[in-house]
Amino acid sequence: MSELSDIETAERQICVKCGALIAKEHRFCKSCGARQSAEKPEESDNKWALFKQVAFFYSIYIGVCGLVSFTHIFNTILLFVSVEVVLAGTAVAFFAYNWAENKKLLVWRNFSWQKLAAYGAIAVAGSFLVHYSVGWLNVTIFSRDEQYYSIFAGTKGAAFYIVFFTAVTPALFEELAFRGYLLQTLLKIADTEQAVYVSAFLFAIIHLSFISLFWLIPFALFIGFVRIKENTFWYGVFFHFCFNLTGCLFAWL
Amino acid sequence: MENALPVPPIEKCAHCYAEIKNDDVYCTNCGYPLQGTEFEQKSFIANLQVIGIDMAEYNKKVRAAANTLYYLSGVFILSGIINFFILKDNADVLAIVIPTFILAMLFLLLGSYCPKKPLACLVSGLALYIIVQVINAFDSPMSLAKGIIIKIFIIGYLIKGIKSAIELEKMKKENNII
Repeated sequence: MSELSDIETAERQICVKCGALIAKEHRFCKSCGARQSAEKPEESDNKWALFKQVAFFYSIYIGVCGLVSFTHIFNTILLFVSVEVVLAGTAVAFFAYNWAENKKLLVWRNFSWQKLAAYGAIAVAGSFLVHYSVGWLNVTIFSRDEQYYSIFAGTKGAAFYIVFFTAVTPALFEELAFRGYLLQTLLKIADTEQAVYVSAFLFAIIHLSFISLFWLIPFALFIGFVRIKENTFWYGVFFHFCFNLTGCLFAWL
Repeated sequence: MENALPVPPIEKCAHCYAEIKNDDVYCTNCGYPLQGTEFEQKSFIANLQVIGIDMAEYNKKVRAAANTLYYLSGVFILSGIINFFILKDNADVLAIVIPTFILAMLFLLLGSYCPKKPLACLVSGLALYIIVQVINAFDSPMSLAKGIIIKIFIIGYLIKGIKSAIELEKMKKENNII
């Protein structure tokens, strides 16, 4: 559509087949009968291929997260950091694979302090809500984080590492993976709404805790829609950071 | 040679009854060849019927996948109830049974929203099912082999459903069906 923008006026379009000038709302050309579809056919042909790529990406996440959650072999700092590096590397690799298109997400147009503060406040409030409701449910939500504390306990600068690995790296790399690569690819397969739902659900269940889904799904849906609305992934990163930092401080203090 | 039969003034498309202008060669709403030969008009309708048959086939596969989600929901409800009665005296009974019921509820929700958002529900359902299998496998590796044929069928139905849902959305877009 974009290449037509300089020719078409408000209520006219050019037929995709014969080039006749036709009304914009017409779904078929009145002189050649061609369908005026918004989508180029070659784009829809590789949806299945894209789906398989997403499946490959997600399998890596399932495998690594499963190993971390259900085995206790990653109990030294070196192994723990190497898991983080593998996940971050996966996120970066898949994101960079379609760099030409994905790089526009990293642009932060219309930066606004008010919005940033508002999202931060929602994140902190949400984290409080989750903390107390989860406490009420008597479930340890940051079960993976507790592992962090035991790993880093007694290390010099433990506080720094804990904040770094519970708030900074997840915010950055989970966002890059799920709101960056995954959502961006799903948008090419499905419509916006379905793409956000799928990315949110996949993000929520990768945490491998079914009771935590009650807050993970709304959390991921919120960030997904923020990402679509603001067209940048940085608000999501900040939101995620504030949320995790609050949770981390709760567990710590 | 065609001027032996003057074209009568047309106001509505003979196929979709949308309003049209006299000089339109094709209907701007459905693409029907208004001034085409009888053969062209008939093959236009036949073509639409072929698309309809294809879509019905894909819809059938999506429905089968949705039924698979309902089936999974039923299986988890059943196993939750059975586990509850087996482990009734165990202190951790709720920790085992509640996740099972959450799973059952999730599959039920995904199944019931499947007609509305087929792609989203089926992809979510497949991912959830695979994650459950992975969790069980970490718990006891032998559980993967248990009922392997049924598992393959479930995954097969879901994948076929996803493929069909992708095709359906593509067809809807390409054919301008809203």
